[in-house]
Amino acid sequence: MKKIIYIALIALGIGCETAIQPELKEAEEILVIDAWLTQKMERQKVMVSRSQPYFDNSYPSLTPGAQVTVEDLNTGVVYNFQEGADAYYWDPADAPLGEVGHTYKLEVTYGGETFEALSTLGRVPEVDTILYKYNSKDFNILESYYSAEFVAVDLVGPGDAYWIKAWKNGNYLSKPSEINIAFDAGLSPSQSVDGEVFHQVIRRDFVNPLDPLPDRKNYYHPPYKIGDSLYVEIHSIDPVAFEYLTGVILQTNRPGGFSELFATPLANVMTNVKSTNENSNTSVAGFFNMSAVSSGGGRITREIADEAKADAGK
Amino acid sequence: MKTIFIGALCLLLALTAFGQGKQFTISGYLKDESNGEALIGANVFVREISGGTTANVYGFYSITLAEGSYNLDVSYVGYGDTHKVIDLTQDIRLDLELRSADAELETVVITSEAIDENVASIEMSTIELEMKAIEKLPAFAGEVDVLKSIQLLPGVSSVGEGTAGFNVRGGSVGQNLVLLDEAPVYQSSHLFGFFSVFNPDAVKDVKLYKGGIPTRYGGRLSSILDIRMKEGNNKEYDIAGGVGTVFSRLAVEGPIKKDKSSFIIAGRRSYADVLVRPFTNMLSDGAGMYFYDLTAKTNLNINDKNRVYVSGYLGRDVFSFDESQGFDWGNRTATVRWNHLYGNKLFSNFSAFYSNYDYGFSFGTNKLDKFDWAAEVSTWNFKPEFNWFLNVNNELTFGGEAILYGFEPANASTVNNGIRTDISLDRRKALETAVYLSNDQKLSNKLFAQYGVRFSYFNNLGGSLMTYGDTLAGVEKPLLSVTEKGDWESIASYQNFEPRASLRYQLSESSSVKASYNRMSQYIHQISNTTASTPIDIWQPSDNNIAPQMGNQVAMGYFRNIGGKRFETSAEVYYKWNKNQVDYIDGAELFINEFIASQLLSGVGRAYGLELYVKKNAGKLTGWVSYTLGKSELKVDGINFGNDRKNHEGNWYATRFDQRHNLKVAGFYDLTKRVSLSANFSFMSGTPTTFPTDRYMSAGYVIPYVSGSERNNFRIPNYHRLDASLTIKNVWRGKKNRSGNDHIVFSVYNLYARKNPFSIYFSQGRDRQMADAPQQTAAKQLSLIGTLIPAVTYNFKF
Repeated sequence: MKKIIYIALIALGIGCETAIQPELKEAEEILVIDAWLTQKMERQKVMVSRSQPYFDNSYPSLTPGAQVTVEDLNTGVVYNFQEGADAYYWDPADAPLGEVGHTYKLEVTYGGETFEALSTLGRVPEVDTILYKYNSKDFNILESYYSAEFVAVDLVGPGDAYWIKAWKNGNYLSKPSEINIAFDAGLSPSQSVDGEVFHQVIRRDFVNPLDPLPDRKNYYHPPYKIGDSLYVEIHSIDPVAFEYLTGVILQTNRPGGFSELFATPLANVMTNVKSTNENSNTSVAGFFNMSAVSSGGGRITREIADEAKADAGK
Repeated sequence: MKTIFIGALCLLLALTAFGQGKQFTISGYLKDESNGEALIGANVFVREISGGTTANVYGFYSITLAEGSYNLDVSYVGYGDTHKVIDLTQDIRLDLELRSADAELETVVITSEAIDENVASIEMSTIELEMKAIEKLPAFAGEVDVLKSIQLLPGVSSVGEGTAGFNVRGGSVGQNLVLLDEAPVYQSSHLFGFFSVFNPDAVKDVKLYKGGIPTRYGGRLSSILDIRMKEGNNKEYDIAGGVGTVFSRLAVEGPIKKDKSSFIIAGRRSYADVLVRPFTNMLSDGAGMYFYDLTAKTNLNINDKNRVYVSGYLGRDVFSFDESQGFDWGNRTATVRWNHLYGNKLFSNFSAFYSNYDYGFSFGTNKLDKFDWAAEVSTWNFKPEFNWFLNVNNELTFGGEAILYGFEPANASTVNNGIRTDISLDRRKALETAVYLSNDQKLSNKLFAQYGVRFSYFNNLGGSLMTYGDTLAGVEKPLLSVTEKGDWESIASYQNFEPRASLRYQLSESSSVKASYNRMSQYIHQISNTTASTPIDIWQPSDNNIAPQMGNQVAMGYFRNIGGKRFETSAEVYYKWNKNQVDYIDGAELFINEFIASQLLSGVGRAYGLELYVKKNAGKLTGWVSYTLGKSELKVDGINFGNDRKNHEGNWYATRFDQRHNLKVAGFYDLTKRVSLSANFSFMSGTPTTFPTDRYMSAGYVIPYVSGSERNNFRIPNYHRLDASLTIKNVWRGKKNRSGNDHIVFSVYNLYARKNPFSIYFSQGRDRQMADAPQQTAAKQLSLIGTLIPAVTYNFKF
């Protein structure tokens, strides 16, 4: 919902924005434990760090000296994470981390205090195909263009949550405005749509990057040209992670302009990381999630483009 | 409870016995001579008793005196005084038509006999604006506006351009009850607050109650804005209109049967889209960006005792990007009223009205893949009211109200590859009823009181009864159970006594002190956690999880006129304490959420302030200075809890619309008979906002963090703005024997082009970054209007 309002309101804007550098209150530099682990056969990382003053643009450095484990609560298997230079890591040998349907506990012991978080490893549907469509010029894009769409069907049974990550020509679509999450086939748990193909907004809107033209305000490059490719990964996420990412979008996706009318006040995003000591006074942020991953990709060739054009009746 | 009522009634009735000897009543309607419009609040002053009465909202007055001879002065602001000598030996019906002070006169003649209304009236904490004053103010895009005008007066503010609605004495937008001919209007703004929905051509009288709210009003905590529409000229036809930069207006009024019946119909439409279309391809294929409204009213004077009014309003805002995408919202109201006189002392009015606010949006590029959402709130209302003009010293007002609400939070569906899924939420119904009684009593020549009580009852009816478990404040509440109730079965009910009282003590002919207390309860809540109130905020009735909001206010004021009535001055202080204020958990999901109550928090509020006002009424230079010093705070568990991780007990925090200083200056200067200048200046302290202290990386994104979960820990820079306008009368009409009159207005909004901040927000850079690369974070200050806005409007009447 917000996306469409944002686009409209940015186009309306007679407003103006200036960058400012206000004096902020002192940073608390709290403990951050962030672990987005997947079943991909690659190095799995847990980040333990400190928050930094808001205008400090450096990359956070690893807080050393923590013990990090992930335990499969269904089987009792414990995965020990090694301390590396930039993260605590675990390398899969012949099998991926975890099993679909099991619940995992992340445990981080640091400074005499133990923190833990739970996550259930959910199931994930296959990516069916990547489609390309031909579009006439519109109020955002000044020339006719191709848009991409991935097709996948939500698994039957309510309560699945997914995070769809996309890469255009191998570049990850990393903007906060491109965070693409689904609850079953729909946009949120309160709008439950189960067991169907993902909603068009999920299939299409977030995988077509809108990069602004350098010289014209409110207009964008065509998302795809002949020769471009799209690769998507569907990560199953814990329903709590869906809630977390919704909070992340609220707090990070600030396109400015008139959309600020619809912005919510700045507030802290929730966390599922807790101290095991009930009376602990340590502030902690970050999130632990376990994902199964499916993927698919496709390039728009001239033949595919011509077909798309013919489908559009052009 | 009943005994209290009966006791009070007996006491009041006992008062009627005080009159000695033979008593007779003078009663009738007070109207404008030129068009037959009722003069709301016109004064009838009886010299012999140094007292009198005022006409009610239908222009009716009644005064009962002992047999004898009396001098009556009838007066109304902007009208010449009328003096009558009455030999009172029987009941007299005296309908009077007052003559408007000659428009050609440079100053309004002030007679020393006229009573000083602002000083002598029991009312305090009220703002009454005549359309004549509103029309003179410089306005955004040259269009006079009811809501913008009241914001130039003490105690009323907004958080800036682009915000729908207004804030009164530290209250939220949803705590104002806006009434158009008694029917509630849920969205008072067009175009995100740049204009109000009320067409000035059709508005007669605007009155805002900020405190000392009479018992006949209820249902909102902060204020009542009572807008009365014109009845329509019952003497002759009038056509008035205007051509402006943003929209054009046309109003037609006239008699259906002379002196008996009349009508008015007024419309507006914006045409920014029409003008812009040739220059852009943004608005192709069914795109549009416009608003319109239509206001109509008719009345029939059946006979001396009966009069009927029918009025309606229809307005809509549309923003569409193409044929199938966009959003829109609109109000509809309809009011039927019947005035009936029982004898000459008891005036009655029965109103039945309907109000509907519907809004929604759609997106999706074709029929096979789309998303539609619509919501609405409807109100059916019946309201009998009686004014009993008991005697010179007592005027009793009593009545009742029954409101049936229908809420449709979401009529929504998604279509995926042609498969439609209905994601609508259940409709909600609720009944709100009230009975009230109040007396305006003259206790002595100096002391006047208005006191009474309103008893309100609310019942949420039918649908799902949801119960939630307790949890740490600020965390989503767990759902325990859902019980389906019958269609008209009660889910939760509440009742409240709302005592109200005002006192006025006259210190001298030109000065008085006033004090008031009121308690208000609010059973329906505007749910909004956005920076500003928006047109798509939903309304939620109280239920077993959401208690009604309760508010109390005490106010005291000193009123003094200086130099005859050349200067009116007033100073008021107020203190408000409220409970069950609605706030939201962090990251609340309010949109299409069946379990919305799990996202809501409840807390207490307080607001206090000082309001100063000086108005110059006469001379070439007229105008006013208004200053408000205010504070508005909330304390909600789960918000702003500092280091209390265990209980999340909240600390006080400033509301989003808390403004320490609010200064408004409005000035009018007549250069010649034809040419006048006006200007207004606004200064408002920056409103609070939340700034982060830290940032951290999670899942590849830079997330802001506020130490201690503080809320509204900083303020955006101050807001100030100067507007000016030049009005030239009789440009074409009114010359060379052409009938009617006209004027052209050149105006400039934001004359010195200040970039007033709307908000400051924090975000990571918008450029695409490689994963694991350091992300830039920045703060941006947003101004919705960053330049001056000139406008020309031509207005005519003939």
